[in-house]
Amino acid sequence: MLRYGFMQNALFVSACISILCPCIGIFLVLRRYSMIGDTLSHASLAGVALGLLFDQNPILGAFIFTSACGALIEFLRSYFKKYTDLVLTIVLALSVGTAITIISSGKLHASADSFLFGSVLTVTPFDMVTVAVLSAASVLVLVFLYHPMLYIAFDEEAARVAGVKVRLINYIFSILVASAISVSIRIVGVMVLSSMIALPVATALQLRKGFRLTLLFSILFSVIDIMTGLFASYYLNVAPGGFTALVSVAVLLLVLLIRKVFQSLRDSHAQDGAAEAH
Amino acid sequence: MLMVKAENLYFSYTGTEPFVLKGIDLKIHPGEYVSIVGENGCGKSTLVRLILRFLKPTSGQILNHADRIGYVPQRSDFSNAGFPLTVHEMLDSYRRLLKIKDRKVPEMVLLRVGMSAFSNSLIGNLSGGQVQKVLIARALIGSPDLLILDEPSTGVDMKSQKQIYGFLKRINRQNRITIISVEHNLDAAVANSTLIYHLVNGRGHLCSPEQYADEYLSKNRIR
Repeated sequence: MLRYGFMQNALFVSACISILCPCIGIFLVLRRYSMIGDTLSHASLAGVALGLLFDQNPILGAFIFTSACGALIEFLRSYFKKYTDLVLTIVLALSVGTAITIISSGKLHASADSFLFGSVLTVTPFDMVTVAVLSAASVLVLVFLYHPMLYIAFDEEAARVAGVKVRLINYIFSILVASAISVSIRIVGVMVLSSMIALPVATALQLRKGFRLTLLFSILFSVIDIMTGLFASYYLNVAPGGFTALVSVAVLLLVLLIRKVFQSLRDSHAQDGAAEAH
Repeated sequence: MLMVKAENLYFSYTGTEPFVLKGIDLKIHPGEYVSIVGENGCGKSTLVRLILRFLKPTSGQILNHADRIGYVPQRSDFSNAGFPLTVHEMLDSYRRLLKIKDRKVPEMVLLRVGMSAFSNSLIGNLSGGQVQKVLIARALIGSPDLLILDEPSTGVDMKSQKQIYGFLKRINRQNRITIISVEHNLDAAVANSTLIYHLVNGRGHLCSPEQYADEYLSKNRIR
C-alpha cells in the first residue's frame, strides 16, 4: 500500500494532523470551546470554496478564511459577552452561507466534495509543503506559548495578574486553530474535523493524569485513531474522515470500558482488604 | 508611599446608574491587613477587581503601587477543579509566567503552606482547604508585596480555616506583606485584620477591628 505515492503523501499529512490536532484540541476542550472548533471547521469550507473560485491553493484559502473567522469570533465575544453561543451562530451563518453560495454558483474550477468527507487521493505536493510549513510553525508557537496558554485555560484571572496578554494570545490561538483545521481538511474532511480535535483529548482525559501526560496521551490516541482510520479506509475503500471518526469513538469507548473494569477491580480489592482487617 | 489609593471612585457595570461603588475614598498603607466586609452584592469583589485592574473605574481613580501582586481567587469562581493538572505543574507554570528562574520555588512555597506532600496530586483530588492552601502558595510565588484574597474561608473546614488565617496573619506581621481580603467570616476579619473596610450599598469607611466589633458585630448578635 505504501508503494503508492498518494498513500505516502496521505501518510505524511496524517502524521502532521495527528500531532497538531490534539495539541490545539487540548486547549479548546479544557476551555470548553469545542464548539469553536466545530464552527471553524465549517468556516474552512468557505475558505476552500474561495480558494477554488480564484484558482488558488484551497488549503491556503481555508487557512486565511478560518483565521479571519477565528479573529472575528474573538472580536465579537467582547460585544456579546453574555451570548457567546450567538457569536458562533453568526460566524457559522457567514461562513456556511459563503460556502453554499459559491459552490452552488457552479463557477468553481474544481470539486469541493473531497473536502467535505476527506480523501487520500487528492493530496498534492504543494499541499504537503503547505501542511508541513503550517504544522511546524504552529508547533513552534505552541511550544513558545505553552505556559501562557495553559494558564489562560486553567485560570484566566491568575494569568492576567501574572502579566499574560490574554487578548493577544487568544487571537494567536485563533490562528493556531485555523492552522490545525487547514492541515486536517484534506484527509479528514470538514464534516468530522472537530472530532479529530476533541476526541483524542476526551480519551486522554479519562486517564486522569496531569497536563503534560494528558497532552502526550492525546497525541498517542490521535496517532492511533488517524493511522488506523487511514489504513482501514484504504482497504475498505471508504472516505478516511468518516472511518477515522468511528475509530476515535471506538477507542474512547474502549478506554472508558478498561477504566471501569480497573476501577471495579480496585474497589473489590479494597473491600477484601477491609474485610480482612475486621 | 501608599499601597492602594482610591479617590472618589465610582463604578457601574453599564457605565450609568445604578452604581455598584459610589464615591469610594480609600488609603491602604504598606504592611496593613485590610478585610473588606459587607452584605452580599455591596461591591466587595468589584472593589477588589478594580484594585487588580480587571475593571476600569467609571469615574474617579484607583491606584495600586505594588511591585508584585499575589491573588487568591474566590474558590466558588474557581470552577476548574476537574482540570488535568498536578499541584507541581500549576505552581511551576506560574513560576515560568513570572519569569522566575529558580526551579525550587514551587516546592519552597508548598513547604510554607504545609502542602509539600501533595506536589504530585491532581488539583481535582484535593479538598477545599487543600486547594485554598495551594492557591495561597501560588500567590506567594515571586514574593509579592500585596496579597489579595477573595473570601479565603469559603468552603473550607474549620481546622484548615484556622491554619490559613494563622498563616496569613504571620506573613502580614512578620514579612510585612500587605493583605487585602474580601471577608464573609467576620470573626476572622476582627481577629486578624489591622483595619476593616465596611461597605454598605456601594459606600464604605475604614475602621479598626475593635470599633467594627463594637458597632456592628455585638449589635447583630444581640438581635
